[in-house]
Amino acid sequence: MTDFLQNCIDGVMFGSGYALLALGFTLVFGVMKRLNLSFGPSIMLGAYAGTWVYLNFSQNALLIVLVTVITTVAVGIYVERLCFWAVRRDAAIASMVSSFAIWMQLEEVAMHLLPERTYPFPTFFTSTVIDIGPFFVRSEHISMFLLTLVLLALLHLFLFRTRPGLALRAVSDNPLASTYMGINSSNIFFLAFAVVSVLGGLAGFLILSADSQVTPFFGLWATFKGLIAMMLGGMGSLTGAILGGLLLGVVEANAFWYGGPLIRDISAYLLLFIMLIVRPGGLVGQRIVTQQQAAYERV
Amino acid sequence: MLAVSNLTVNYGEVQAVDSISIKVKAGELVSITGANGAGKSSMLNAIAGICAVASGKIVFAGEDITGLRAHQIVKKGIVQVPEGRQLFATLTVRENLLAGRYSNSGFLLDKVIPDSLVQRFPALGERLDLLGSSLSGGQAQMLALARGLMNHPEVLLLDEPTLGLAPIAVKEVFDLIAELRDQGLTILVVEQNVRQALAISDYAYVLESGRIVMQGKGGELLNNSRLVESYLGAARAI
Ligand SMILES: Nc1ncnc2c1ncn2[C@@H]1O[C@H](COP(=O)(O)OP(=O)(O)OP(=O)(O)O)[C@@H](O)[C@H]1O
Ligand SMILES: [Mg+2]
Repeated sequence: MTDFLQNCIDGVMFGSGYALLALGFTLVFGVMKRLNLSFGPSIMLGAYAGTWVYLNFSQNALLIVLVTVITTVAVGIYVERLCFWAVRRDAAIASMVSSFAIWMQLEEVAMHLLPERTYPFPTFFTSTVIDIGPFFVRSEHISMFLLTLVLLALLHLFLFRTRPGLALRAVSDNPLASTYMGINSSNIFFLAFAVVSVLGGLAGFLILSADSQVTPFFGLWATFKGLIAMMLGGMGSLTGAILGGLLLGVVEANAFWYGGPLIRDISAYLLLFIMLIVRPGGLVGQRIVTQQQAAYERV
Repeated sequence: MLAVSNLTVNYGEVQAVDSISIKVKAGELVSITGANGAGKSSMLNAIAGICAVASGKIVFAGEDITGLRAHQIVKKGIVQVPEGRQLFATLTVRENLLAGRYSNSGFLLDKVIPDSLVQRFPALGERLDLLGSSLSGGQAQMLALARGLMNHPEVLLLDEPTLGLAPIAVKEVFDLIAELRDQGLTILVVEQNVRQALAISDYAYVLESGRIVMQGKGGELLNNSRLVESYLGAARAI
């Protein structure tokens, strides 16, 4: 039992990182009803830029965070212009496929920037183990978890207390009505990508910093974890993304403890498989789907 | 205030609006009637910058606004309350209203809804923090109207504001429209409830297949309402 609870604590800590990635996917999906597959690789490239600065120029933590986030945002905007803005509104599949093509391109760029397989990623969290009763937690995980909570709070403030945040939610809900309100939806698409890239860049930094290394596979890894967590929670739902991320973290941590790394990786797919059969809309999605259907019948 | 001349709107091969000219003077209430598919919504949408203008000219307050984008037109003070209400079902009533004020709000949302609006729409005032989807049909229409007023428009375009409402609610909407006009708002309303619309209109147009087939002062057309209704009926019979 203690083991299980310990795993759950670890899972929640790590799952908070998944939650951030899932939020990135779900925000873009909610606003545009399209998937951006190159979200993970954009973060990977941002992290590579950060590492590159770290290896060649400076060890200043703030600078490296900035470089990571700014590069991720720049790449995010590049992807938006190329795969979403330039592609017709009704061609969702074309956007998804071209975002996959860009993925390959981004990996190529990363390989040219830093050709070896693995690079150290700067760790700014001091690593100690903190005892809480029978449990212990690593301090870098606590830092990551707390920073994630801060990010979630900021995102919430942005979405619910600011004008662009309201516009983002309005466009997700009803794009046509938003146009009547004088909301310029192509600006909002752009904004969604920018916000999501900031979130992704920070998430990437936190996750890699706790891991203290980066490889080109981080792009694939981040896209998979983010997509799975999003689908577990329910596509397009913000609460769902957070719950899905945490659930994925907890399940993986337990699978790893009881079964090893291979079982951990399989457990993620198995979990998704079961969820899609039992609750195809995800944890929160089902409710939203029925709620919206009821809503549109009445409105 | 608003002058549309020789406006044409096409959807591919379909010509929805065919060289229409209308005028709305400041402070007037002008109504447009016509059968389903006559091109009424297309005309409003062209004015609001939602659908493309094929040819013709739209002048608002002395300024040519033809071809401006929807958000630019909202900023100029023309707000449309669209057909079918188009509420935000997953946002609260308050947020729906705030979205109506989008083009005039600061970076941080001011969540206060003006008292005057709450007094005018008491049913909404009681439900500010419920979801848009939880309203009844009549309340939903009131929210759509209230949302349109949030931006303090100079011209309000209303597309079938009484569609699907019970007779009492229809009367409520017409009373509100007349009251808004009496307070100086310029209104262009598309309506199928011919008599009620004509009774409060300063001027009215009847559309058929994208063209104007009748026009005149509200009272004049009301005396001729048989003929007006025949235009609606004729197309309905087809
Ligand atoms: N998006 C569209 N694409 C193609 N044709 C359209 C589109 N919207 C409207 N039309 C066509 O244009 C014509 C006018 O439509 P419009 O919606 O303007 O009519 P309306 O007078 O508002 O009718 P209703 O009373 O049913 O609302 C119709 O023949 C319709 O089929
Ligand atoms: Mg119409």
